[in-house]
This record gives sequence, C-alpha cells and structure tokens, in this order.
Amino acid sequence: MSAHVATVSVGRAETLTSARGPRPPWQHRLLPTAVLVLGAIYCLIPVTWVVVAATKTPAELFSTFTFAPGTRGGLFSNVNDLSTYRSGEYWQWAVNSAIYAGLGSLLSVAVSAAAGFALAKYRFPGRNAIFTLLLGAVLLPQVALAIPQYFMLSKLGLANTYWSVLLPSILSPYGIYLCRIYAAAAVPDELVEAARIDGASEFRIFRSVALPTMVPGLVTALLLQFVAIWNNFLLPYIMLADDRKFPLTVGLYTMLNQGADTPALYTLVITGAMLAVIPLIALFFFLQRYWTVDLVSGTVKT
Amino acid sequence: MALTTSSTQTMTVNGWAGRPRRSRRSTASAPYLFLVPAALLFIAMFVVPVGYSLVLSMRASTVSGGGIGVRTERFVWLDNYRAVLSDPEFFHGLLRMVIYTLIVVPIMLGLALLFALLLDAPAAAAKRFSRISIFLPYAVPGVIASLLWGFLYLPDVSPFNDLLGWLGLPEVDVLGRRLAFGAVSNIAIWGGTGFNMVVLFTSLRAVPDELYDAARIDGCSEVQLAWRIKIPLLTPALVMTAIFSMITTLQVFSEPQTLRPLAKTISSSWMPMMKVYRDGFINGNPYVASAGAVILALGTLVLSLGSLRLLQRRAFAEDR
Amino acid sequence: MRPTVVAKSAAVVAAVALLAACSGGGSSSGSATAAATGPVTLTFWSWVPGIDKVVATWNQAHPDIKVDVTKPAQGDELITKILTANKAGNPPDLMQAEYQALPTLLTNGAVADVTDYVSSQESAFSESSWNLVTFGDKRYGVPQDIGPMMLYYREDLFKQYGLKIPTTWDEFAADARTLRQKDPKRYLTTFSSGDPGWFSGLAAQAGGQWWSYDGSTWKVGIDDEATKKVADYWGGLVGEGAIDNKPMYTPEWNKKMNDGTLLAWPSAVWGPGVLAGIAADTKGKWAMTALPQWSSGEQKTGFWGGSSTAISAKSKHAAQAAQFAVWLNTDPGALQGLVVNGGIYPAAPAGQSVPALQSAPAIMPNQPDFYTRAKEISGTAVGFTWGPNVNVAYNTYKDAFAKAIQSKSSFSGALSTIQSATVDDMKSAGFKLSG
Repeated sequence: MSAHVATVSVGRAETLTSARGPRPPWQHRLLPTAVLVLGAIYCLIPVTWVVVAATKTPAELFSTFTFAPGTRGGLFSNVNDLSTYRSGEYWQWAVNSAIYAGLGSLLSVAVSAAAGFALAKYRFPGRNAIFTLLLGAVLLPQVALAIPQYFMLSKLGLANTYWSVLLPSILSPYGIYLCRIYAAAAVPDELVEAARIDGASEFRIFRSVALPTMVPGLVTALLLQFVAIWNNFLLPYIMLADDRKFPLTVGLYTMLNQGADTPALYTLVITGAMLAVIPLIALFFFLQRYWTVDLVSGTVKT
Repeated sequence: MALTTSSTQTMTVNGWAGRPRRSRRSTASAPYLFLVPAALLFIAMFVVPVGYSLVLSMRASTVSGGGIGVRTERFVWLDNYRAVLSDPEFFHGLLRMVIYTLIVVPIMLGLALLFALLLDAPAAAAKRFSRISIFLPYAVPGVIASLLWGFLYLPDVSPFNDLLGWLGLPEVDVLGRRLAFGAVSNIAIWGGTGFNMVVLFTSLRAVPDELYDAARIDGCSEVQLAWRIKIPLLTPALVMTAIFSMITTLQVFSEPQTLRPLAKTISSSWMPMMKVYRDGFINGNPYVASAGAVILALGTLVLSLGSLRLLQRRAFAEDR
Repeated sequence: MRPTVVAKSAAVVAAVALLAACSGGGSSSGSATAAATGPVTLTFWSWVPGIDKVVATWNQAHPDIKVDVTKPAQGDELITKILTANKAGNPPDLMQAEYQALPTLLTNGAVADVTDYVSSQESAFSESSWNLVTFGDKRYGVPQDIGPMMLYYREDLFKQYGLKIPTTWDEFAADARTLRQKDPKRYLTTFSSGDPGWFSGLAAQAGGQWWSYDGSTWKVGIDDEATKKVADYWGGLVGEGAIDNKPMYTPEWNKKMNDGTLLAWPSAVWGPGVLAGIAADTKGKWAMTALPQWSSGEQKTGFWGGSSTAISAKSKHAAQAAQFAVWLNTDPGALQGLVVNGGIYPAAPAGQSVPALQSAPAIMPNQPDFYTRAKEISGTAVGFTWGPNVNVAYNTYKDAFAKAIQSKSSFSGALSTIQSATVDDMKSAGFKLSG
C-alpha cells in the first residue's frame, strides 16, 4: 500500500457526487458503471470474505464453502473466544491502538502544522534545505531504522513503553508537506501582515490566524497519520515486549504465528481482523468530506 | 485583533514610522522556533538512527577463542558491503524488486486514474458505493491483507479454485512459481489503488466546470474530454503519486514476508528488504543487515531524485 | 510574547524527559543493588499458552518474588527479541528458551550459568533431559517440556483402505504407495519444507548428529550419512508423488487434516492439542503409535521441540529467578497447570504423572493408555548437540527444501546447501571448525 503526500485544494467547495455535465441515456451509462462496480466488488472480496469467515466456528472454517456463512452461531462464539483469550487481551490491544493512533496523530499534526506554517509563510535561509531534508526521511526504509531506534530508546530507558511507539510516529514528512502546501494556499498573507502590524506575536498569529484557516488540511493530515499509525506493524513489533501494550496489528500477528506445538488461532485472528477494520471504515464513512486530498495547489483557482 | 484595511499597501518593516517597531529578530527567529519540535524529532528519530545504522554497517561481531568463545565487536569497514554486493541472491532480489515495481506502479496508477475519471464523468452511476468500496482496502493493514489474500490464494481453501472446478477448469496454484509475482502484486495493487484514486479524484474535482463547457460545445465527447483535457491537467498529481508509490513499492516487505510460510516459492531473500530483515532479525546479524539497508536507501534515493528531476517542471507549477 | 515559543518547546522536551523517567520501568528489572532480601520483580518472556495462570499461583504464594510474565513473540522470534534486548541492555530475567536456541543464546552472552542453582535438583530430571540444557559440563536452564516424536494415524481410514500400521519406514513407504493407488485424492502424509524442527527429530532418530563439539572445535554434520538417508527417503517419496509436498500449519493443511485428505502425521507428544485445534471433526478417529523404525525391532525416536526456562546473564536477581524456574518445572501443581493450560508434556518424571496426564487427550478418547505409551516412547528418544547458529541452519532449510521441491531436485542436495551455509556462517563468525 502506498501513502502519499497531499494537499487540499482551495477551489470551490464541490460536493463529491454532483454531476459533471449532462447525463447521457442509460445505454451509455452501463459500461462506465459496470467498470466502477467491478472495481468495487474486487476491492470488497477479501472484506466480504473476512466477515463471512468470522461467522464460522473453527470446524466450519475448513469444511464449508468459502462464502457460505456459518450456521452454528459462529460469530457469537468467536467474539466470545476472542474476548476471553488471555483474559480479554484483544480489547486491551484495541485500546492501545486507539491511544497510539489517537494521541500520535494529534501530536503529529501539532508538530506538522507548526513546521508547515513556518515553511510556507516565512522566507529564511535554509528553508528549502530543511524541507528537502525532512522529506528525505521517507526514503530510508523502516526496517532499517527500527533497530537503531530501538537501541537508542533502550538507552533512554524508554523501550517497551507507550512512548517508544509514539515518539517515532510523531514526525511525519507527509504531514509536514501537506501542512506546508495547505498553509501556503489557505492562510491569507494579508491577514498575517495585518496581525503583525497590530503587534501580535508570531505564535499568536499562528494560533489565531493560521490554524483556523488550515483546519480542513489539518483534519486530513490527522486522518492520514491516524490510519498510518493504526496500521503500523513493524515499529510496535520491535519496540514492545509486553504484549499488554501491543496494538491490534502486532497482537493479531502473534495470535497467528504460534509455532509448531500450538496451532494458529485462525478463527480468532479472522474475527479479530474483522473487528479491527471496523473503526477505520466507520472513520471513512463519517468523515467523508475530509477525505479530499489534492496534490496540487494553485494550478487551478477560482 | 483589529484588521486594517490597508491590504493594498505593501508594508515593509522599513516603512513604519512612529510605531514601536517589533524587532526584526523576533520575526526572523520565529520560523526556526516553529520548526524546533520537528527538527528535534528529526534528529532524534532519524539522523541519530541513520548514523547508528551507518556505524553498524561497518562493524561485525566475531567469536574468538575456541568453543563458545568470547564475542567482540570490531570495525570491518567495507567488508559487509562487499558481502552484500557479492551475494547473488541480493541481485536476484533486486531484479525481482525492479520487475515488481514495474508491474505494480503502472497498474495501480492506471486503475486509480481510470476510476478517478469514471467518478468524475457524468455517465457513471453507483459512484458513492464504488468510491467507498475501492477506498476500503486502505483501512486494512498490510499484514492482515496478506493473510486474507493468503486464504483466498491457497488452492485447497480458495473459492476461486472452487469456481474453476465447477467450470471444469484445472486448478491454479497462484502461489506457484509462475504466478507468485502476480499474487504479491495483486495485494499491493488492491491495497493502494483506492488511496491514489482519491488523490487523483480530488484533483479532478478542483477543476471548474466552465473549462469543460467550452469543449463540450465544440462537440467533444466525454472520452475525448478525459483524454485531451483531464489527464493533462492531472499530470502533476500523477507524477507525485507515481514517485511516492515507487518509493513505497521499492521497499516491499510485509506482503511477501507474510505469504512466505504459505508458499514454497518465496524464499527468505525474495525481495531485498526481506533479506535485510532476515540478516538482522533471523540470522542475528544487524551489521550486514544495516549494510544492505544503506545500499537500498541509496538506490531508492538515486531513483527518486532522478525521477523527480526528470519530471520536476511538470510536478510543481510554481513554488512559492 | 517571544519567549512563549521557546518556553513551549522546552516544556515539551521536559515533559518527554519526565515521562521517560516515569515509564522507564517497563523493561528492566530495577535498581542496581542486587538485594537478596526485599521484594523483587522478575520479568519473564514466555509463549506457553495459559502460563499466566500458573505464574499467578506463584505470585500469590510468594509476594516477595513477583513474576511478571508477558508474551512478546513465539519460538524463534522470541529468541531474536531476546538477543536484541540483550544487546540493548534490557533483557528479561527469565525466558522461554527452546533447547536448540540455548547455544545461540550462550555465545551471545544472553544466558546465565545455573549449575550451582540447580545442583540440588539432579534427581528431578533424567540424564537425557539434563543433556538438553547442558553445554560443556555447565547447565544453562531448567528443562520444561520435551517433544518425543510419534506417529498419529487415522484408525478408521487405515481400516477402510486396508493399510498396515507401519513399524518400519519401508512399511510406511509401502502404505503411502498403496493409498495413492486406491485413492488418488488422498495422501498418507506431507513433507513440509517449513518445519526444520520436525526434520531434525527424524534425522536424530536415524542417528544424525548435526553439530558436535569437543571443547574447543566444532564439527558440522548436517549432511552426514544418517541425515542423507532420511532426506533421500522422503525425497524419493515426494518425487514419486507418493506423499504430498505442501507445508504444514497452513489453512490448507488444516483443511486436509480435518477432512481426511491426509491420513497420518509424524508428530510429537503434543500432537493431540494441535489436532484438537485444527481438526475438531476428527475426534475419536486418530490413534497413536511409535514412529516407524529404520530396522525392524529397533526402538528409537527423536525430539520435535521442547523448551526450558533460562535466566538472563544480565539478570540482577539470578538466585530468585532460579528459584522460580525450578519451582515452575518441578512442582507438581505448576506442572499440572502447564499441562492443562499449555498442552505441554513435562520433562520431569514428576510431571509425567500429574492428574491431567492420567486420561486420554480430549481428541483421542479412543486411546485411554495414550500417556502411558507416550512415556515409554519418550524413554527411547535421542537428541543431538545444537550449534551456535541454529537460526541460520533452520532458515536455510526452509529456503533449500522449498527450492528442492519446486525444482524436483534431490533432497540430499538441499542438505549440502544447508551444510555449506551453516559452515560458512560459523567460519565468518570466527568459530573454530574442523573437518
């Protein structure tokens, strides 16, 4: 999966489903609709599978047809088994994921907003160098960074704590890029200058002028980072030894890889995976209008 | 805060008289101060580990004295790099990585573009359903996605093979040698298309209708519109998504790693990043692993800068 | 005004530092003074299912030595985590160390010599069990469980297809071929390229010795005659198509075990637990017997898995940790808990007669004397010395055998690949090798 840098365009507020031009007769609508729906179905196949599989009992999982739902009340018993696994550890993992993603994304947006604002609204020596350097951080793969980060945090006594996962998650080059572009486009220079004339401190300007106008971009940056942290596996896997601090990704992975003498808990993992994906789907549904991510600002303006 | 109405005047700091002037220093130091948190984190979470990684890549741990021996760490300078570069498996992995990227990025962006254009076209229906559905895979973490697709791939539990069976066709082993690439690529494409689609779609949405009206009056069909007007307008967005997709795809790791226990065709060094993981985590040799990671990072850097330079003009309309 | 930005940044940094100081206790076990008195908290990394319940009973009885058990990872991955943590300076006090991992841990300075702490427990384990944790006359852990190998087979399907219960490997091969003739959809069993531990047990049964050590020099014999014999035996059967060639522990394998596509499973004493998890529909249909032998009348078997409780070389409370480790693996109450919750087979003879092991396993009610038979078989089990780079050998095994199956090349060729990879790795690490 790829993650991107994005900006939010400052065009008119278009609704996302308003028609674009005249509607052709239904015969001409079949093909484009079919292609879209095919794409949608293809994307839904594994999701449907996981929902159906979660309704099956362990015995049914490997003996019934894939897409036939379970008939022995599997869903209820699976969720029950999941909740009693190691005394309800799954729900602890869910809380952990919420903490890492929620707190991490909030801190990340705060840092990104400040950095993005600075890069957008000030001209200072080293500006481009700093920006390029920050973006360059995406080039080094996390697999390589993980161990040195672990050693470093161990020396600080922070390994295996919540901070060991939060701290590396705060810095988001994508978030900074996005905030920069958005600040450049959305924060009016005139207001900034006017505030300066009135003797406001730079920080006051940031807080009262810039942030309010940057809100849509900030929300997008928040959502992107939330999903990135929620779905992150490698970082918490390396940093954490206490399974009570695991997020859902690592927890489900350990349930899966149990080694030779204990079988993989497939039904639990499947049910757990299904439940883990629900919050993000809900997030998508309810915050649809913030999922507008545009890469280019300024090319087309009203 | 009162807003003055003198926005048409260009105010410079020097043009003030009679007002207690805020020192230039405070405005000049402000940007740096705003950047302090990001800079601190950058140094702590990126620069220091990179430095440590570089140091690690030039060291090794050997045993001396017979038997169990005593372990000592020492500098071996470029030996680890030599070991990585002279390993044929590494180059096989590199080749696979390049092929994999050449498969995944164009298909993923091509589909994303197609879906974005369709979502923007008046002809298509079921837009909301499609948009949410195609975006959904973004919600699934890579490790879980690979597991789900693993179930759908394994011949004996796969519904696709059931379907083939009903149709009287022979069973397909998607995880076999010939199709393994496709199997892994599919997971990446499935996972990434939706996000790119949303990026491209938003770019499209920002274009005002008036631009198209003129073309339509001239008799342009929707397809021609898409081809002649929309796609060129999307070029900057396409370039940026391509580059970022390329960077992520070059670092592919969790999909083949998760599929490995299910398939005999994926070795522990099938992709370069898997080899780095294997050296560092399975063989307990973080030294060679760091060397491999540095080589890969440099390669990615060269490729990204090269692509960006080639396409720089088209990516950024104006830089403020 | 201006100072607020600076102040806020400073506040953030200070807050981080403060939190660091407060939450730093997550991994290491505390103060610098190794006090023999005063309450002590020990960290314990283990993946045995349900071990937290057993540990809870210890904690109730020993408020002065509290054990905090967590499950960071499984098997091999746990060893990797231990090595990394050891390098970083914050390993756990106690760890679940599989027998084959002990030399690796030892050469990385990760385990402590516990000879003195366990000297009073000599009689608690058999000599062969002690050998599993001994290296050069010193003991590095307390044996917990063992996995002597035995054969599980579907009684009902064997009757249906008229298969003889095999006592030698030749008979096993004959059964495999007969089955394929009678029903091309089924296989007697599968050869897994993903389970090197399984193969190592079979090699040990044939007399293989993968590593040997004379005090200062190592010798690697992964491709010795005995192991080659085992490899070519299985390679031949796979090549003929007489047995399946897919890995174990996949959803596919689960399905085949559940619906009778596979009729037999060379496995270990903990097999019924796995069967119960993956093949619930087959309750009452499996039976257990000793592994087929290489010569008629012989009685030997190998080990598949098994682990010990080891203590970190960096632990500041080794004495207390040893006390807990000994209790965990010799106290009948603890062992009963481990058997019931974790499905293990204790190495300690005292553990082999706990109440939980007096009746047949849940999935095999048709074999009430299961554990009596298992105990006999475990007395015939032989292991071999493990080397300091088992991880490398095991990982190469997975790659090499997968490749051999794919390209239909010889299995003993795969052994040579593993042999050279292991030897090269040991040489480049600086070990002295002979031969």
